[in-house]
Amino acid sequence: MTLDTLLDIVLRLVALLLFITVTVLALTYLERKVLARIQQRVGPMRTGPLGLLQPIADALKLLVKEDLMPAKVDRLLFWMAPLVVFVPAFVIWVTIPFTRDLVVRNLDMGIFFIVAVSGLSSAGMVMAGLSSGNKYALLGAARAAAQLISYELPVVFAILAVVMIAGSLDLREIVLKQNVTPYIVVQPVGFLLFVMAGLAELGRTPFDIPSAESELMGGPMIEYSGMHWAMFFLAEYANTFALAALATLLYLGGWEGPVLPALLGPVGNVLWFLIKCYLVIMLIFWVRSAMPRLRVDQLLSLAWKGLLSLSFANLFLTAFYRYMGWPDVVMLVVSLALAAGALYVMARRRRATAAHPSVRLVTREELAR
Amino acid sequence: MIGALKGLVTTLKTTLRRPVTAQYPQEHMPLQPRYMGFPGLIWDDKVNESACTGCMACARICPTECITVSMKDNPLFKEGKSPRRKTVDHYKLDIANCIVCGLCVEVCNFDAIVMTDQHERGGPSRGGLVIDIDTLHEWGTGYVKRMRAQGIEPTTGSPPWERPGYKPPQAASAGAAPSEPKAQGAATEAKGEAQSK
Amino acid sequence: MTTDARPQSTPQTIEMMVNMGPQHPSTHGVFRMVLQVDGERVTGMESVIGYLHRGTEKLAEGEMYRQVITLFDRLDYLANFNNEHTFVMVTEKLMGVKPPERAEFIRVILLELNRIASHLMYYAAFGADTGVFGTTFMYGFRERERIQAVFEAVSGARMMHNFMRVGGVKNDLPANFDAMMGDLMPVLERGVRECDDLLTTNEIFLERTQGIGVISAADAVNLGLSGPNLRACGVPYDVRRAEPYSIYDKLDFDVPVGARGDCFDRYLVRMEEMRQSLRILKQAMKGLPAGPVMATNVPKGLRPPKGEAFVCTENPRGEFGVYVISDGKDRPYRLKIRGPSFVNLMSLPTMMRNAYIADAVVILASIDIVLGDVDR
Repeated sequence: MTLDTLLDIVLRLVALLLFITVTVLALTYLERKVLARIQQRVGPMRTGPLGLLQPIADALKLLVKEDLMPAKVDRLLFWMAPLVVFVPAFVIWVTIPFTRDLVVRNLDMGIFFIVAVSGLSSAGMVMAGLSSGNKYALLGAARAAAQLISYELPVVFAILAVVMIAGSLDLREIVLKQNVTPYIVVQPVGFLLFVMAGLAELGRTPFDIPSAESELMGGPMIEYSGMHWAMFFLAEYANTFALAALATLLYLGGWEGPVLPALLGPVGNVLWFLIKCYLVIMLIFWVRSAMPRLRVDQLLSLAWKGLLSLSFANLFLTAFYRYMGWPDVVMLVVSLALAAGALYVMARRRRATAAHPSVRLVTREELAR
Repeated sequence: MIGALKGLVTTLKTTLRRPVTAQYPQEHMPLQPRYMGFPGLIWDDKVNESACTGCMACARICPTECITVSMKDNPLFKEGKSPRRKTVDHYKLDIANCIVCGLCVEVCNFDAIVMTDQHERGGPSRGGLVIDIDTLHEWGTGYVKRMRAQGIEPTTGSPPWERPGYKPPQAASAGAAPSEPKAQGAATEAKGEAQSK
Repeated sequence: MTTDARPQSTPQTIEMMVNMGPQHPSTHGVFRMVLQVDGERVTGMESVIGYLHRGTEKLAEGEMYRQVITLFDRLDYLANFNNEHTFVMVTEKLMGVKPPERAEFIRVILLELNRIASHLMYYAAFGADTGVFGTTFMYGFRERERIQAVFEAVSGARMMHNFMRVGGVKNDLPANFDAMMGDLMPVLERGVRECDDLLTTNEIFLERTQGIGVISAADAVNLGLSGPNLRACGVPYDVRRAEPYSIYDKLDFDVPVGARGDCFDRYLVRMEEMRQSLRILKQAMKGLPAGPVMATNVPKGLRPPKGEAFVCTENPRGEFGVYVISDGKDRPYRLKIRGPSFVNLMSLPTMMRNAYIADAVVILASIDIVLGDVDR
């Protein structure tokens, strides 16, 4: 390991760290603004022009806030839990390629590394809840653990289907193979599965029972304040961006796009990557504004009964299609048929449980009788 | 799934509309003409004295007892310049207690008090929330001037139908039969009749 | 040799007390619920009230009838006109005064607008409790603000109006009222439709509310439940139809009745009531007669003769009743308020049988209590 390579790695890491921090801050601002516009209001406007300094104000506030550690906590676990949640969120960014050559360190098993490392943050949640010495935190942590574990499988199966089609675990390869058709066309069901299960992994609406448990009691993060809490918060946004980046790379064609690379070279590629990422992020925010929250048991039954079976079916069909060597169009048709089948099953269940119409209008004559 | 998509489409539609926020304090939501803010006293310009005679009708009706009034003999009456025998001496209104119900305006026999449009009157001290008579006159006269400049006659004690020039409103639609006012006091049964359920 | 290798019989569990204290984010006022939970299931429930008690009934004994109207505004603070109206009706009954036709129509217009505003607030809070972040709040309040602008134009205040009087109303409608309502009605219709689109068919919302908090019709009647909660159980009882007051017997509207008595039916009944209120508004606006707005035989100093009277009306929350005993003086001798939210709260333990903790919030939101009514 020469000094040059060491310096190279350090520079790349520092650049990545800066990029992620800035992006996370921007995401906090963007979320508030986008949600505000959806709700026909304006969001932050006072801190700086158009509220652009709001994330800085938030960061400063969290820095100077008192970092309480209650008396009865398990001190080591309590102190470490935010780190265990936070570090994997950053580590997975090491192998995410922004363009062909813009990556800190590309691995042949990029996807495998990402899935493995991001599973570690579930342990951090449980650590946070267990060490807090608070029965509500314990309950919240138990639920968070159940949720995070249940939704790993659909995510992994959706990714496996893509890997099967691309034939490689290397993220760069997967993007390069999408130069004809992005995989969302071939795997629409897989994309939906990936996004839905990914949302649940993040703990975002409509699966945000652990973190919005604060409506009821407070999730595993109830006893945290100040910089410790900020780490949880940042980890969530870094993970959100990672989910969007993965969705872009696996399904939307990564950094390829029509006009910009020709005009601006590699910068055009980075721009396309970012544009697609932000489109997925807008989708995530949009879903947050319009959906109620699922209860924990409904959440788990959705994972194990709904998403898992769907992802199994998707994987099986993909395997079959690869084995037979059919053209892409067949996969698209089959996927759509699968989606239609799933919708039909859901509609059947809905009609069975909901008696229509349950509210009738009683006129004056009927009442007189 | 379809229902959830419907919700998503609805939120998309509202995204494209103008936000309904009025950025206070730069923008202020418009006040309706009848808006009831804190009360203010009226100054009689013709005689150059307060229209209030200190009769304490407002203080008696106030549900929160936030008005303190006292009256004195009117020096202008002795000189023959004013028809009011008494005039107000001290008048204090505690806006920390005032519930802006408008009852004081209704009972005033002299049309001397009016609900102004004062509403942003927070202050750093409780004592500062007790408004003295001069400020009340400022509020009142300012309000009357502002309203008259817009062509609106501010509502004071006597109800509109007792004031000169009152035109009763027409029926809402032309098709409705012109209903003569129902016989007033239709219920003139014995006052002592107790109607219990 | 024993082959009994079974594990220990069921492990010991302790029931936990979960306190949803007077301040919680899914707040409907200062209300404290102490839940006894066994894991996830609620096994017992105790409600603690009184945080908003202001002694309205006692205060009323020391205030003249005209001043008592201001107290009534503040009881159920989401349905101010309904409260004022009930009290004014009781006093009119005691004094034998009948308000003129135009006053009755104005009253009904304001009452129904208030009903829509109250149900919009219900929609806002209910959506927020099922987990929609803020969107339902904005949708509900957007329309509510427009209704409150109309209230301000008519009575001078957005909430605490002090507008109804014994014998009529305080003032006539403003000159631009027709124009304002003409602008408002389509906006309200569109608003109600949007609120509907967002939640009613949403599968997640249906999962959260269907079959939750079920109460049978028999239980509901026994517990004294009233209003949309009762109608959601299948009992078609609406005070406006059962014991018509004001001009409701001349107006054409239907009463929405549910079937299963769960949270979803309560929600649907209220959404449908908003549409029926819009219907009533149209009829009232069209049929608004000319004439005075105040009866002429009302003395300035209100001194009802000795006697007692009771009137109940259909509040957006249920049956709101006022019972007044007068001893001939200008202040009531005794004033008793039958607050619908207070009685509706009694049905919470029945509804929360076998609910999850997360459902407890949704059930509390679905019965639509206002603490001003509960605590008075």
